Amino acid sequence: MSRRAIALWLVESLIGFAIFFGGALLLAFWIGRSDWAVLPGWLSDHAWLLPLVVGVVMAPLVIIEPLWRYAVHRWELSGDVVYARSGWLSREWVFVPVSRIQTVDKAQGWFERALRLATVEIRTASHAGSSTIKGLDYDVAAGFAEELARRAQELRDDAT
Amino acid sequence: MTEPGPAHQGPAHQGPAQPGPGQPGSWPSGPGGLPVRPGGTPYGEAGAARRLSPRVLLIDPIRMLPTLLLPLAGVLVAGGFSPASFGWAALGVGGSVVYAVVRWSTFTYRVSGDRLELTRALISRSVRTIPLERVRGIDITTPPLHRLLRLAVLKLDTGAGGGEQEGELDALTVEDAESLRAVLLARRPVTPRHRTEDSAAPEGTALGAPARDGVALDGAAGDSAVRDGAARDGAVPARGAATGRTSGHHDERIIGRVPRSWLRYGPLSGAYLLTPFALIAGAVGLAFQVGGELRVDARTARVAFTWVEGHPALLVAGVVLLILAMPVVGGIMYAVFNWDFTLRTRDGYLVAERGLVTRRTVSLERRRIRGYELVDGLIERRFKVVRLWAVVTGLGDSETRGQLLPVTPRTYAVDVASDAIGPFAIPLRPHPSQARRRRLFRAVTPWLVVAAAMFLLGWEVAASAALVLALLGIPLGLDRYRSLGHAYDGTRLSVRNGSLRRGQAVVERRAVVGWTLRQTVFQRMSGVLTVVAGVGAGTGGYSAIDTGETQGVEFAAEVTPDWIGPFLAPPTR
Repeated sequence: MSRRAIALWLVESLIGFAIFFGGALLLAFWIGRSDWAVLPGWLSDHAWLLPLVVGVVMAPLVIIEPLWRYAVHRWELSGDVVYARSGWLSREWVFVPVSRIQTVDKAQGWFERALRLATVEIRTASHAGSSTIKGLDYDVAAGFAEELARRAQELRDDAT
Repeated sequence: MTEPGPAHQGPAHQGPAQPGPGQPGSWPSGPGGLPVRPGGTPYGEAGAARRLSPRVLLIDPIRMLPTLLLPLAGVLVAGGFSPASFGWAALGVGGSVVYAVVRWSTFTYRVSGDRLELTRALISRSVRTIPLERVRGIDITTPPLHRLLRLAVLKLDTGAGGGEQEGELDALTVEDAESLRAVLLARRPVTPRHRTEDSAAPEGTALGAPARDGVALDGAAGDSAVRDGAARDGAVPARGAATGRTSGHHDERIIGRVPRSWLRYGPLSGAYLLTPFALIAGAVGLAFQVGGELRVDARTARVAFTWVEGHPALLVAGVVLLILAMPVVGGIMYAVFNWDFTLRTRDGYLVAERGLVTRRTVSLERRRIRGYELVDGLIERRFKVVRLWAVVTGLGDSETRGQLLPVTPRTYAVDVASDAIGPFAIPLRPHPSQARRRRLFRAVTPWLVVAAAMFLLGWEVAASAALVLALLGIPLGLDRYRSLGHAYDGTRLSVRNGSLRRGQAVVERRAVVGWTLRQTVFQRMSGVLTVVAGVGAGTGGYSAIDTGETQGVEFAAEVTPDWIGPFLAPPTR
């Protein structure tokens, strides 16, 4: 992965944090205002605690997640098998043999474009055998996608 | 693919078509303009264009009746029973008959070389070309009316996904449907060499077949697949000689025929159990629709409801009746749909035939079958019965089309599966004890949490209900664990999971297109992971849930050593 991928994940986790925190604020506001009889009194009285807890718990994760991901995410092409590891709390290892690849896409979102990063999407006939490698340097991704497409052409042996 | 032809083209084509019924061959299109004797063999390398059976004209107006009914009723209500309104009604009926005739006379189909062409020239001229190479399955159904007239609807499954792309011939005579199927399927004995050349031809020339990346590869798959299929076919008759019979010139053999006495297993599957409710819902919907016409409004409905509320005994009796009706009606529906279920092989196809009223015949191309799935529910397991599905690449509507056997005893289903597709006899490896803990935890905890929350909120009844569910979660979790298993016998891998609906998938090794290993935080704490075999068929992925960390990786490495081997160090670590 490119080091700039950390910035990308940081932006993404910030957006996620904003959505969560905003949601918690709204919820707290709504609970505090409503006098819905089913909810016990202590819940509506201390509704302001909710966004606070969410903020305190999640704020460190905004920083930790990108770094952790950077430490975990790996990809490799060897022996004509693409291997990709991703995730942070949960892990995912994907093995896709080049001979079974149907399409190789290279995609760039807004932030990725700004950071000169790219995503390589490897598709096979099955969603479970498909892989998405995010946060690659644009040139690396271009070269990788190119090579994969070329090898896939040569090795095409597909039983699906 | 519509080519908006000049306006005069339509009538010009209809002119010679007037000779009409009985001479279906008089269609002046290209090399196929030869008259065809009924009963002859009309399909050649460039077969004549043919029409659907004219008998379908008897069915069409009846089918249009429901759509005509409301306008007709409207006309009658608006105009009373005056000659004018009868005139309008007659016009409507006559118009629909004329429309049916015109539609019938402008639709032709023909097999030309290696493709099937469906031509429609009603308003604009459209030709849909389906390369026979692309035909993955053929589905012949005979709904009741069609059956009366000895007609059948033939559907082509081309794997294009979406009904628009599939060819439908509604309706052919039964004989025509059979012979067309024979023609469409007889293209199979193609040498691998030929097939590769075929697939090298540009796919873009095929009208109606969207050029996808996958399509090109599909063709290439033929090479290895055909060889494999041939090898398997060679092996099968030896086995089947004792059990099956070979008929005529076809390489046809019955693999399994489900005796009628086994229809009694039907309700165990839980299929169609909700039919009574569906019927009631349909009746209520219809009542409201008709009620709208008859000026029955909400007020009358409310009166009816209060009347029912006033007679609770009646209400209870109704509900009890409904519940009692569930297995009975469900069983009847099951029997109607699965009557005389027969599975046979014919020229490289698996043909499943079933149904009492609507007789349905589904042909699945064997070289596209990658494995099978045995499914049994909680009650079915008690009676040792299962259902059998084929795992087929690119099969649309696989729930109904892929079914190879309805509810049958397990031993029988396993025999049929190993005869039709391939044996898998080795026992499944159990998953580690952490998996049992996790299954239990996941079956029990959510309900415990709900129960706790309900108690906190002071809803005792809901809380006790949740508590009961949590208790039921214990046997459920244990059973889920017992279901877990995976194995590999050298050619096929198998994984099993589920409890209320337990499914065991058996898939060929060559169908695996990749592996995904997943581990959530909790799985990591327990030292287990989930291995998903990506398969370009069926549901796309078959997972072995909660295998041991090394066990799971070894499973993947065992099936495809050259893929996983080089990486063995990183995932186990």
